[in-house]
Amino acid sequence: MGIFSGFSLIASSIPYIINGVWTTLEIALVSAIIGFVLGVILSLFKIGNIKILAWMSDFYTSIFRGTPLILQLTLVYFATPQLIGYDISAFLAAIITFGFNSGAYMSEIIRSGINAVDKGQFEAAGALGVPYWSMMKDIILPQAIKKILPAMMNEFITLTKESAIVSTIGVLDLMRRAQVVAAENSLYFPPLIVSFAIYYVLVMILTILGRLFERRMSRSD
Amino acid sequence: MIKVDHLYKSFGNNEVLSDISLEINKGDVVAIIGPSGSGKSTLLRCINLLEVPSKGKIYIDNDDITTLNQRNVIKIREKVGMVFQHFHLFPHKTAIDNLTYAPIKVKQNSKDEAHRKAIELLKRVGLSDKADSYPSRLSGGQKQRVAIARALAMDPQYLLFDEPTSALDPEMVKEVLDVMMSLAKQGMTMAVVTHEMGFAKMVADKVIFMDHGQILEVAPPNEFFSHPETDRAKEFLEKVL
Ligand SMILES: Nc1ncnc2c1ncn2[C@@H]1O[C@H](COP(=O)(O)OP(=O)(O)OP(=O)(O)O)[C@@H](O)[C@H]1O
Ligand SMILES: [Mg+2]
Repeated sequence: MGIFSGFSLIASSIPYIINGVWTTLEIALVSAIIGFVLGVILSLFKIGNIKILAWMSDFYTSIFRGTPLILQLTLVYFATPQLIGYDISAFLAAIITFGFNSGAYMSEIIRSGINAVDKGQFEAAGALGVPYWSMMKDIILPQAIKKILPAMMNEFITLTKESAIVSTIGVLDLMRRAQVVAAENSLYFPPLIVSFAIYYVLVMILTILGRLFERRMSRSD
Repeated sequence: MIKVDHLYKSFGNNEVLSDISLEINKGDVVAIIGPSGSGKSTLLRCINLLEVPSKGKIYIDNDDITTLNQRNVIKIREKVGMVFQHFHLFPHKTAIDNLTYAPIKVKQNSKDEAHRKAIELLKRVGLSDKADSYPSRLSGGQKQRVAIARALAMDPQYLLFDEPTSALDPEMVKEVLDVMMSLAKQGMTMAVVTHEMGFAKMVADKVIFMDHGQILEVAPPNEFFSHPETDRAKEFLEKVL
């Protein structure tokens, strides 16, 4: 069977695959928000002078960086019902795993951004009597985040692509839908290449949006 | 009045200030001069607790600030403003937002009130037209004038200057010194670390000469500049004058 007849055979399923984009994006976006919030908190703990919080944050980060993501996901999805008797949905397991995992990476990115802010900024705020948390929120973090926008965009793109492993716990994302169509038709190349192309286009769009956003943010320089 | 009483400061084993005592009276301008590394910045930074003294006392209006808790440190910072060599304006805020931020956040001024005061202060330093400019759009001299206005926006009773003109191109030094001079005339109490001997001569009530973490001389400028007592001061003046 030729490639083109293969495509025509699954033509009616192509919209079904494409619609997986929303699931993929939803997981990436919700996880990114969780990851960002967690990352900010963890990074503040890491640079703060409460030793136990700094240590806990470092430990948290090393756990998520030191184990395979797919194992983390499997553990959350299959072990949660057995451990706490809560029948966790695949989607919830996905955003928890990805959000918490991303928080670990994000905290390192944000910490490096905070360290890259001129020490004089801390002193100027301090000398004006600005309390620590206000200084962080209003003076330091906005400058830090501006410095790390490219790295954060990268993290989001990685998240979008890596989210494909949620297909292993049955979430109907782009990847999973391609597999479903493939199995139904016993035909692999056309459905997989469709999702392949969609991932690629998606990442290109995100890259361009990221650049536009960066340009906008750098107006005050 | 600021009174420093037998102050010591060490970084690790490096004693940077040793047995510093001095007084700055209300309305006085004190110029602090001395070679690089002599501890001038560290002394200034101890006075608003950006550095924590190792030993000794610092009194501001008779309150010992070396024993304060965090909340009261903020009270001291409201009272004692600081201007840095490298300005340290907030780059993501416009000139006027640089001025209004701390009064709103720290002194709980209303937005209107802070805004009104900021406009007035920008006028006072000759930068009314730059209110909406980001720091990156300002020249060095303009940045430093905004930084001075930002410190003034907190209504401080004392202003500390750490080499406010050292990072400026020569042609911009005067505009900053002019602002400082007019502040002095209006009775602001100021401690100024400076290499501008002309400014010290003309504006200071008292010159403090430091070397190797110690105060070697305290004298009115005409006395100090015409008859320095120590060899160190003589050497130093020969080099800079
Ligand atoms: N945070 C710090 N940690 C360790 N050493 C420091 C620190 N700050 C200052 N020092 C040391 O203290 C000494 C005095 O420094 P300080 O900046 O007070 O001198 P200065 O008189 O202001 O010099 P300059 O004219 O170059 O500004 C120097 O030897 C410096 O290396
Ligand atoms: Mg200095």
